[in-house]
Amino acid sequence: MSEYESVQALHHSLPPFQPLISVELLPYIALILLASTFVLAFYSSTIPKTTIPGKEVPLAVIASVLGGFGVVALFCTVGVYV
Amino acid sequence: MLRLWNAISCLLLASAAAASPAYSLSFENTAIVRTVDLGGSLVHVTTTFAVKALKEAASVYTITLPEDEIFNTSWLEVKVKGTHQPLTVTYNGAPVDSKSHNLDVSLEKPLAAGANINLVLETVQTHATWPWPQKAAQDEDQSLKYETSLFVLSPYSTSVQRTKLKSSSPRIISYTTPENVEAFTQENPVTKSGATVTYGPYNNVPSSTNQEFLQEHQQHVVLHYNYDYPVLEILKLKRAAEISHWGANLNIQDDIVLHNAGPELKGQFSRLQHQTQSFYGRGAPHVLPLFTVHLPPGIRNTYYIDQIGNVSTSHLRVAPSVARGLKNTQSSVMELKPRYPIMGGWNYTYTLGWDAPLGDSGSYDSKTGKYIVSVPVMTEVPGAVVNDAEISIILPEGATDVDYVAPFTALSNEISTHVTYLDTVGRPMVTFKYKNLTNKHAKPIYVSYRVPVFAHLRKPLAVSTVLLTLFTFAMVVRRVDLTIHKTPSKKM
Repeated sequence: MSEYESVQALHHSLPPFQPLISVELLPYIALILLASTFVLAFYSSTIPKTTIPGKEVPLAVIASVLGGFGVVALFCTVGVYV
Repeated sequence: MLRLWNAISCLLLASAAAASPAYSLSFENTAIVRTVDLGGSLVHVTTTFAVKALKEAASVYTITLPEDEIFNTSWLEVKVKGTHQPLTVTYNGAPVDSKSHNLDVSLEKPLAAGANINLVLETVQTHATWPWPQKAAQDEDQSLKYETSLFVLSPYSTSVQRTKLKSSSPRIISYTTPENVEAFTQENPVTKSGATVTYGPYNNVPSSTNQEFLQEHQQHVVLHYNYDYPVLEILKLKRAAEISHWGANLNIQDDIVLHNAGPELKGQFSRLQHQTQSFYGRGAPHVLPLFTVHLPPGIRNTYYIDQIGNVSTSHLRVAPSVARGLKNTQSSVMELKPRYPIMGGWNYTYTLGWDAPLGDSGSYDSKTGKYIVSVPVMTEVPGAVVNDAEISIILPEGATDVDYVAPFTALSNEISTHVTYLDTVGRPMVTFKYKNLTNKHAKPIYVSYRVPVFAHLRKPLAVSTVLLTLFTFAMVVRRVDLTIHKTPSKKM
């Protein structure tokens, strides 16, 4: 059996591809994550100014991480499968 | 020479070009029947050799094909009649001065002396017909010419051979009557019955791959026949298959330049005449108003666009998605109607793309951590030959250990980097280039790769980094004081 046929047989015997996060959930995940990002960003912008941004930096980090995943989920929701 | 090598390497399954010594005459053909199914751009030739072994343990049968036939052949397969497994064919050089080439077929089991076997050689020839007359008006018929050699060459002697040329329409305009064949037949050398023209039977043809036979008896016969369907060529096919793990999606996009290779349109195109013809159902055979392609089941977000924009004159019926590997799956049917009917000599450029769930064509091997995805080489446009094809498979970002296996060797393979939305380091892209693909070449390419976990997280991290930069910028800007203060006036 040639290499092509053995790869073909292997491919047919393996389980199908499953993503880590199911695609049907992605629109809701996008909505929740982006909403949280917006809320946190708004809150971090209204914190009283101090010289060392003690509370702003952790909030900004959390907001960016949530926003990162939210934007990727948003792209997949609208049909640009990144 | 390069063209010959391209032709041969494209059509052989096992391309071991070992120059073995001259074949020993260990076979005899009891009968050869060659059936030529005439089409437009594709001609399907089936040659059946009824072979008898003369010597003990005969295992390699040599088929000789003339040079012009090999140049036109883009798919070749040899099987034992009744089985499905193709036999291994290797190229074995060209006999001196004969303008033909030898192909060695390795039989699975060596034959005993006196044993019989039937071998079937199937080939598909492309660009083997040409329109004659070369120009036709909008309401005239379309007729093509096909040329082939009269005798089927073989290094072994043949008891009887015949060639049948089958056209799809019984209206055959003319065919060559062979001369100087009295040594092989006492009856009519050529007969026509309905849509089939038969050259033969020719009896006791000796070994025909030597100069004497070729000069004395071999001749070309030309068949001039009416053909009732448009002759289509795809001048360039660019297929891009993009794999997305976040969206579990395989997007396939075809950029196609379609050409009507029938007789060129004589005179102007008259829309009025075209409307009259389609109203009464009497469309001319060389005009292509619409065509149908079969797409995979379970597709969504299909788009059919050209340079002007979306083409709305199309119909799609999607078949439900099925699990991988099931046979006899229904396919989605898409009827494409270009913006204008494609007359002889005209071109039409369009883009057809769709999204399909990655689970339908991708699999995951948890033992080795490899993903395997199958991407079909082309979608068949009925009766069309693809002159130039470039298939690119774009893997997810950060894919490593990229490996691929194609159903037939490509003219060139390369791995490059492709950058698209939300990419930082770019995605590996595997590109295959082919020439002269036919409907027999619509098989899948298998690509396997690994994606480490960090590569999956690269995209969200890239977006997070950008957002964090924005936040930092905002925090800095908040603390910069840009208000204008009143300067205290100096008292002199």
